[in-house]
Amino acid sequence: MTESKLSLLSDLTPPSLERTWLTAPHPTLPIVATCSSDKTVRVYSLTNFKLLSTITGGHKRSVRTAAWKPHVQGESVLATGSFDATVGVWRRWDSYGRAEDGAGKDSANANVDGEEDVDGADEEEEWRFAVLLDGHDSEVKSVSWSPSGMLLATCARDKSIWIWEDLDDGDNNFETVAVMQEHAGDVKCVSWHPVEECLASAGYDDTIRLWREDLDDWGQVACIKKHEGTVWFLDWEGTETTPTVADGANATALQSQWREQRALSGPRLVSCSDDRTVRVWRRLPKESAQLGAMSSAATGIPSIIRPTGTDETWEEDALLPHAHELAIYAVAWSRRTGLIASVGADGRIIIYQERIVSPSVDVDAMETEPVEGKASLQTEWTQFAVVNGAHGIYEINHAAWAKRADRGAVEEEEVLVTTADDGSVKVWTLQQ
Amino acid sequence: MAEVQNSNPTILNVADLPTRTRSTIKAGDYHSGIFAAVPNPADFLSSDSEDDDLLEEPIDEQEIYDLIKSISDPEHPLSLGELAVVSLPDIFIKPTLPNVSDSPLQTVIVLITPTITHCSLATVIGLGVRVRLEQSLPPRFRVDVRIKEGTHSTGDEVNKQLGDKERVAAALENGALMQVITKMMETCQ
Repeated sequence: MTESKLSLLSDLTPPSLERTWLTAPHPTLPIVATCSSDKTVRVYSLTNFKLLSTITGGHKRSVRTAAWKPHVQGESVLATGSFDATVGVWRRWDSYGRAEDGAGKDSANANVDGEEDVDGADEEEEWRFAVLLDGHDSEVKSVSWSPSGMLLATCARDKSIWIWEDLDDGDNNFETVAVMQEHAGDVKCVSWHPVEECLASAGYDDTIRLWREDLDDWGQVACIKKHEGTVWFLDWEGTETTPTVADGANATALQSQWREQRALSGPRLVSCSDDRTVRVWRRLPKESAQLGAMSSAATGIPSIIRPTGTDETWEEDALLPHAHELAIYAVAWSRRTGLIASVGADGRIIIYQERIVSPSVDVDAMETEPVEGKASLQTEWTQFAVVNGAHGIYEINHAAWAKRADRGAVEEEEVLVTTADDGSVKVWTLQQ
Repeated sequence: MAEVQNSNPTILNVADLPTRTRSTIKAGDYHSGIFAAVPNPADFLSSDSEDDDLLEEPIDEQEIYDLIKSISDPEHPLSLGELAVVSLPDIFIKPTLPNVSDSPLQTVIVLITPTITHCSLATVIGLGVRVRLEQSLPPRFRVDVRIKEGTHSTGDEVNKQLGDKERVAAALENGALMQVITKMMETCQ
């Protein structure tokens, strides 16, 4: 077993006493929101790992999912999805984060757990319940804000995906933009592309689907059928990361070639499934997809008569090394380091690293056919770190990367936040 | 549930159901179930009683069977053991992570045999068994309840639902469904 390069930094305390499903790191502030079966959302500090406030009273059943709206000035906006079939939107002024920073640095304020009732009560009042989005027929499983923050996607056991537009009219009005019902089973996860208005979804019908707006209509542009079990979670690659080169030679040139390649296909998508696999997907660049689709159409077709459909071709880019014995519930693709983390029912955390394979090491190079232009660069994924029993005997439901914010943090350092069945949330650091 | 689906099921005599005393394991090791209401007074007298509490007694297939055999069938006034919906040879316990030597995780597999191949209550029965085991067993157990192969027309669909943690969790918050499950459990001690 790989020697673990992942070590426990802290638990978030006090934990929920019931199952926790997901922990969403805030896009800018050092806080996270943890969804619990006790119908609450707990907001913890990543500065001192303490509970800051508990959002209660909005949902009648388990809170399954939550997402912070990006690019909001002076305020934090959280969307929550519950088994009660509703989506809640909550708001709070950001003076909150600054007050918390002060408290974290104040050594005189070293309160014993549970002794902060008075402060806690004041803070709780500051979470304003903004609106309840009613539309799904059954349990809401995932919510995701588009990169601009204008659109909110939600999905449920009712097999539908709803896209809501936040009208930002100061009156908390949301408008239903689209309802997509192509999935044949529960939609377990929705996740927006990091820069484009492209939505990925996955679920109980074992498929991954991609959606875009074309002439005012949202429609499916791709359906990936390769997993052999429920697809539990999706995450997108960032746009800033580049893998290292396996043997170091020509590293700079290879990395820039790799970045060119990715610029053509765009950020990749990672998925995890009940079938115990983690897979990476890549969109074929439009041109090569069309060339592939048209039998003898190598060259010479004027671009004006090329098919203009919005359909996209997605192919499997990598099957990550087998590492889980039971269902894999979540994957997280770091947008700072490019590392992928996966967690699941077997209680393991696995971290995978991608490296560019230097083409010169290919001994069969002489036998392969000469390729026009540049050869497509290959990468390999290896296990970078393994933690068995990361939450003791409990299943791990979610993992997310966040910026490290405690005193030990070095610049741009990341932590992994994992969320488990016993209500525990743990923060891990990587030794590079 | 207006209509009884299988009006004439095969019924086993309770006295013929497998019990601990008939098995080869000696009866003295057995304290009437893993969560016996009355603790053995010897545990308190023993000087190292704290260690005893930490040492969990091994759980075997018979003990799993005893936990689920008395669950009532949702449409008959009979137990799952009497109807042979659950049976001792269809219960398996194995290490969840065989390659991790010190892992305490164990998987309990229970294969269910519906009384008729198109029984629409198979999911409810499976859910009842899963809930009973999850509520009774320590959390280091992973419960895997599935329909025995070839005994149900939509076995794969039922298995997928029973294996879906999120659906099971949501079902437990569904009042109408839990009423049925609770009624099935009334006959369990």
